[in-house]
Amino acid sequence: MMTTKVHGNHGDFAIEAKGLRKRFKTGRTFIEVLKGVDFDARHGDLTMVMGPSGSGKSTLIAALSGLLRPEEGRVDALDVDDLWKLSSGRIDKFRLDHCGFIFQGFNLFPALTALQQVETVLKFQGLSDGDAKKRAKAALEEVGLGPRLHMRPSSLSGGEKQRVAIARALAKDPKILFADEPTSALDGENGQIVIKLLRRAASEHGAAVICVTHDPRLEAWADRIIKIEDGVIIDDRRHVPDPNAVLASHH
Amino acid sequence: MSLALATLLYEWRRYMAAVMALALSGLLVMAMTGLFIGIGRGFTAQIDRAGADVMVLAPGAKALGNGPSGVPRRFIPLVYRHPEVVQVRALSGWGGQFQSIKEYDPTESAAERAKRGAPRQEQVQISVIDTAPGAVTIPTDYSDELVNALRQPYTVAVDETALRRLGVKLGDKALLNGNTVTVAAVTRGYPNMMVAQIVVSRDTLRMIGGPNDSSLRVGPLMVKLRDPTRAPIVAAQLNEMGGGQYRAWTRGELAQANEASMFEEGILVVIIGGCVVLGTIIGVAITWQTLRGAIMANIKEFASLRALGVGMGSLRRIIMELSFWVGIVGVLAAVLLTWLVSILALAGAVIIAITPGMLIVVGGGLILIAMLSGMLSLGVLKNSQPADLLR
Repeated sequence: MMTTKVHGNHGDFAIEAKGLRKRFKTGRTFIEVLKGVDFDARHGDLTMVMGPSGSGKSTLIAALSGLLRPEEGRVDALDVDDLWKLSSGRIDKFRLDHCGFIFQGFNLFPALTALQQVETVLKFQGLSDGDAKKRAKAALEEVGLGPRLHMRPSSLSGGEKQRVAIARALAKDPKILFADEPTSALDGENGQIVIKLLRRAASEHGAAVICVTHDPRLEAWADRIIKIEDGVIIDDRRHVPDPNAVLASHH
Repeated sequence: MSLALATLLYEWRRYMAAVMALALSGLLVMAMTGLFIGIGRGFTAQIDRAGADVMVLAPGAKALGNGPSGVPRRFIPLVYRHPEVVQVRALSGWGGQFQSIKEYDPTESAAERAKRGAPRQEQVQISVIDTAPGAVTIPTDYSDELVNALRQPYTVAVDETALRRLGVKLGDKALLNGNTVTVAAVTRGYPNMMVAQIVVSRDTLRMIGGPNDSSLRVGPLMVKLRDPTRAPIVAAQLNEMGGGQYRAWTRGELAQANEASMFEEGILVVIIGGCVVLGTIIGVAITWQTLRGAIMANIKEFASLRALGVGMGSLRRIIMELSFWVGIVGVLAAVLLTWLVSILALAGAVIIAITPGMLIVVGGGLILIAMLSGMLSLGVLKNSQPADLLR
């Protein structure tokens, strides 16, 4: 099992954003996707960001994670004041050191085995080959892929691929974990495995897990539910997660 | 195994076009260069396998035939003055007309006779050996049988690769400068693309009217030493004795100078230079586009690495490493292709020589082409926007 390291104190702010604005140009008109959003997320929380498509929820986490520069507003993450003041190289370094990412598509290299997918990122973090292998193995075992270490994406199921992607994100032992629609390409059973892994990353590793989704059934596992519509947060409430919730099959 | 190498091995089909482009560029350059070196080898074969330890040529000459390489006859006793010299013989050569003879059945019709083709007439280069045992002019790879056969008057030896060109086979009669001669032997390993070479004994040469013992100039001198290992020293001493009237070469020196002198010909440099330019352009263009396509195919995966904090510099290094490996595979494929082509060519009596120096230069060039293509395709990495994955 992976050694459980707890980041920060449960309940401490991991990320705090103020007045985020982002506009996109479509044709001759500008669309304002984020209209001055204030946001925060805490260590140990599974924070669910929900909203219909086009509501700006993906843009929000892109701005929070240093992937997409907002026109206005600031993001304070961990001990960094105003992430967007850093050079792009420093922002990359910040993500490399502290952030995990899980996408709707799994984005695994077709040539690499599950173990290599995870190792590759760890090696970029500067781990030695031996340490990277050990950590990668532990992370894959944690997501239940111990018997699949040497399989390539082409011989893994969708759920298994997403678990490799989660292992890749978790192996870095991130303080902040971003997940964008992590279950929407999966059936109920696999979706449940994935959301439980995210739940555990928050509870056991103390990561601030920020999960964007439009699937209301995931709410059951959340500590906090933020609803966003048309670039504005319309609801923000705390919630007591139910660890035994069941995600029924989509079908 | 690194990401770049694993990707190349696993998705090799995707990179095949780049590898083939590199291999063909390499083949183009290596085959052309090898061809010219091979042609040169046809001329140097005589030097490489000469029985002489030292050769004395006119100053400035770098080949046995092919220009004024001969010296005045009086140099023979001059060279004998060196105490370590045991034998000096001139390598005489001569040009000639060689014509095959066809025996016709007098009852044949004219049409049937026409079908068998006319006798062939070819310009040939005649070179000479002394048939005395241990003669310095006998190449090292000649068998006793071959020398014995040539000892008969009016006999010639023809290289196997020239048989078809001359229209003869072993035992055939032919006309050499108007004299009937017999093809008494066939040599192997003396292909010459430019002109067929035939070998006769010094006596036969005299009998068919060639240069004889009374001519004032003779061909290059073939010198045998008491101790062949002292050739470099003796050659230097001979040069000193000659005071610049001639140049004494060891076998190795002359072979090298001979090969190098090929590339003093302007046209060769133009042809090979053209091949290099063409090969580079084709190689870069195809490899670049292939790499671009391959990177685009994995752009989402690269973007996800970016999201996890892997910097642009690291991604660039992955691409450069990938292009390096593509280059390595390209070099291997080029060598394999060139080797196959050279085998094919040899079947047609054309030598494509592959030298280590050429392999290093062309191999290095191909890797450079691959890396250059990799550098050109770095631009597409800009498309690896992790924000695009968030939708």
